[in-house]
Amino acid sequence: MLEIRFHGRGGQGAVVASELLAQAAFLDGKMPQSFPFFGVERRGAPVTAFARIDDRPIRVRTSVTEPDVVVVLDPGLLATTPVSEGLRPGGLLLVNTRTAAEALAGPVGIRRATVDATRIALARGLGTSMMPIVNTAVLGALSRASGAVSPEALDRAIAAFVPARPDANRDAARDGYLQVRAAPAREGPSAAPAHPRPPPVPIPEGPIAFLSSESTPTAAWRTFTPVIHRERCTRCNFCWKFCPDDAIELGADGFPRLRAAFCKGCGICAAECPPKTIEMVAEA
Amino acid sequence: MAKLTIPAEEWMFSGHAACPGCGPALAMRLLLKGLGPRTIVSVPACCWTVIGTPFPTTALRVGVLDNAIEATGASISGLRAAADALGLADVTVVGFAGDGGTADIGLQALSGMLERRTDAIYAMYDNEAYMNTGVQRSGATPWGAWTTTTPVGPAARGKPEPKKDVMGIVLAHRPVYAATLSPSFPEDFDRKVELAKGLRGPRFLHIFAPCPPGWRFDSAETIALGRLATETGVFPLYEVLDGRLRITRKVSTLRPVSDYLAKQGRFQHLTPEEIARIEAQVRTDWERLLAREREDGPAPA
Repeated sequence: MLEIRFHGRGGQGAVVASELLAQAAFLDGKMPQSFPFFGVERRGAPVTAFARIDDRPIRVRTSVTEPDVVVVLDPGLLATTPVSEGLRPGGLLLVNTRTAAEALAGPVGIRRATVDATRIALARGLGTSMMPIVNTAVLGALSRASGAVSPEALDRAIAAFVPARPDANRDAARDGYLQVRAAPAREGPSAAPAHPRPPPVPIPEGPIAFLSSESTPTAAWRTFTPVIHRERCTRCNFCWKFCPDDAIELGADGFPRLRAAFCKGCGICAAECPPKTIEMVAEA
Repeated sequence: MAKLTIPAEEWMFSGHAACPGCGPALAMRLLLKGLGPRTIVSVPACCWTVIGTPFPTTALRVGVLDNAIEATGASISGLRAAADALGLADVTVVGFAGDGGTADIGLQALSGMLERRTDAIYAMYDNEAYMNTGVQRSGATPWGAWTTTTPVGPAARGKPEPKKDVMGIVLAHRPVYAATLSPSFPEDFDRKVELAKGLRGPRFLHIFAPCPPGWRFDSAETIALGRLATETGVFPLYEVLDGRLRITRKVSTLRPVSDYLAKQGRFQHLTPEEIARIEAQVRTDWERLLAREREDGPAPA
């Protein structure tokens, strides 16, 4: 049995990716299973989904804790989520990132693969520029890097089950298949986990909520960052006024400044800026 | 440097867990600017529970009571009584609930609070469906809108029932003040909040709160969409003070509702006939509003 765990953010299509993978495996004549981890239904929030593929009926119904393959749809999660936790020796870590597979931090004994699915999705016009839908490009890469499903079955699953723009999604999957880059496992003694779990928060006596939400920055949520061009700024403060995250502060000189730790990249400031001095620039 | 047209102080922390471009998050930020630090907010189960208070954090610099979805009205009656018993006369008690928790599940508690003449503000942020749980229709979802429980297909055309008139229900209780607010008009928003804060007795704020993932539009368009809702007459801005209605954002010629509908995925399936039906309803409601304003006349000097 092959066990796969997807890590993404709400809106990227991680849950649909796991369903499409299962549909493709079924078309390959396998017995698949797919289900998400139920959390908060919120765009940008970390999302986990699971898939299993076997030649026999699958009886186990629990979350995948010791995956053979981990798929990460958002590279920002590598810094905040223990994505490679439980990966089996000889397993595969596939990440949507511009980074070369050799440069990817991964546990010892785990094969690594990368694909720039964000670029593929944007080129294929999938999702919005603020939130590209990368799932089908990643599935193409997964098909090649893991052999979990055949590219033909993936083509057919996308045609049958993707309601919006199936052709562009199929092309994105083919792009992902062709562009995925793989690197062998790192060697050497097992060291600290590549993506450690954050330490638990100690709970003191007193009020239930004892930390400010500013202890949980949201910079990693965004795909685009506003860049404020001061030379054309009229200091009208519209960007400050309309920010749902209070991520823009006004200096003593009246010019707006980005509080980058808390910007989610929604793009409201750029859209509302009367002289259009704010530009949304893709994150590196 | 341009003069600030709304208070500079922030009483909502950054780092909260709202989606990018969240209308309800901006609604809370603007509401607290007007109310200031001597405020207690009661939040039922809704998006804002998850946005504001995932353990062990809080996104508000003021006191928060998390409560059950049906209980907002009752909880602010209790908070007011407790504040009075403690001699905290300068504290503003606020209920901040979604449309599902107000128009549907919390309706009797809201009615009770209004009828008891509780000295508190009840704010409903209206994102027109149960968004926190993944876009299920509520009583406040408009006619024709797609949600996960009012699907669109060969046998279904989105929500077959009209949006519940929550302002009408509230006004039937004769509150001292009731108003509609939109974060797209921050100055009008702030003026109403500060006016409400200065009054005593039951006050109600109906806040328009666009939801990019639930309504299916780009997160950068939240403000533009709110402006369109008011300019098309879909969400007119008005207030009722001492029973007298006044439109606070005059619109001489309404824009066609299609300008508003076309920007949202939840209305993409509508036919020209269905859009005309919405247009006709919006115009009828707008004429009624104008007639009521004329009938009420200007406030006595």
